[in-house]
Amino acid sequence: MNAILGLVYTKPSYIFLTTAIFFLLFIPLIIISEFLFFEPFVVFSIYPETVLSFSLIASLSIFSALAVSLNLYRVKLIKETRKIGSSIIGTMLGASAGACSCGPIAFSIITTFGTAGSIATSFLTIYEIPIRLTSIGILIAVIYVTTKSLSRECKVKS
Amino acid sequence: MANIKNVAVVIAAVILVTAVTISFSSYVGEVEQMQQNRNVAPEKIMGAPVLGSETADITIIEVGDYQCHMCKLWFEKTRPDIIENYIDTGKANLIFIDMPFLGRDSTKASEATYCANDQGKYWEYHSKLFEYQQEIDDGWAKIERLSAIAFSLNLDMEEFNACLQDNHYYPQINLNKAKAVTDFGAKSTPTFVIINTSGDTQKIIGAQPYSSFEEVINSML
Repeated sequence: MNAILGLVYTKPSYIFLTTAIFFLLFIPLIIISEFLFFEPFVVFSIYPETVLSFSLIASLSIFSALAVSLNLYRVKLIKETRKIGSSIIGTMLGASAGACSCGPIAFSIITTFGTAGSIATSFLTIYEIPIRLTSIGILIAVIYVTTKSLSRECKVKS
Repeated sequence: MANIKNVAVVIAAVILVTAVTISFSSYVGEVEQMQQNRNVAPEKIMGAPVLGSETADITIIEVGDYQCHMCKLWFEKTRPDIIENYIDTGKANLIFIDMPFLGRDSTKASEATYCANDQGKYWEYHSKLFEYQQEIDDGWAKIERLSAIAFSLNLDMEEFNACLQDNHYYPQINLNKAKAVTDFGAKSTPTFVIINTSGDTQKIIGAQPYSSFEEVINSML
């Protein structure tokens, strides 16, 4: 696994891609989850009660970035797109959990979809932690399977 | 099989893009609304109980939902410092405008605060709701529990229950909800609108820390 990670991330383009995906997920998620505010001043705020939520957002962003970039490397290598779906589904699940809460997304969903929207946002808020843990689990599994198949495919190629 | 997976991936990507677009447009909308809502007159919020001096230089309007977790976080982490440094010193007062949208029990909880207000215990009841808050619609704000909270505050139960069951304050809560959206441009909870005697308005969106409020209020005093 380490050898494969070393192989992929010696290329600057993949380091850049991973960093970009991380920030593309992490920044919107910490804004939506009310850790980072831009108005009226730029403020970052975290309380002991929200440390777990913040850690899960950070982990989710890291694992999503790794899973997507590894899969893109794999796509370039063998032109096969199968596992990207799992990474996107894992990322989607984790990103949607808790992101609704009391924020503008929840308000838009509830005012648009009424009771169904209300039930959906309540579910995503109540089960924020288990949903995020599940998606992190999916992403770890995707990373593991991808590195395994990459090491096998690299051996075959060499 | 591969086609089904490709379709699922495309659908997932479309949902993700839609969510980001909604979030971004909401943010832009809030900023635009904030520009439009400068100079909201304090008299527009009459009818809602005031915490602190009615003649204070600053009015802090909190738009909230009793089932909102971030409102509870603000209530526990930021509000005590605001009470100590601005409300108790007479520099500011606080008004809570209900925007019950998160669950079916939210409206009833808001109505209950106004029923408690009839007996002079609005803010005590308001505080109890945030103290007892649990998950959205898990039963913590059902009518029986709202009555139990009233009982713990020594309210006249006959009067309180009659008020709650008659939906006496339903129109008031609906009015508050409409005002929250139209007058204060709230699209999430908690949203705060801070107004001074000159009519200058500043908006703070979200459960921001005390430092944000301190900076805004001091700049408006």
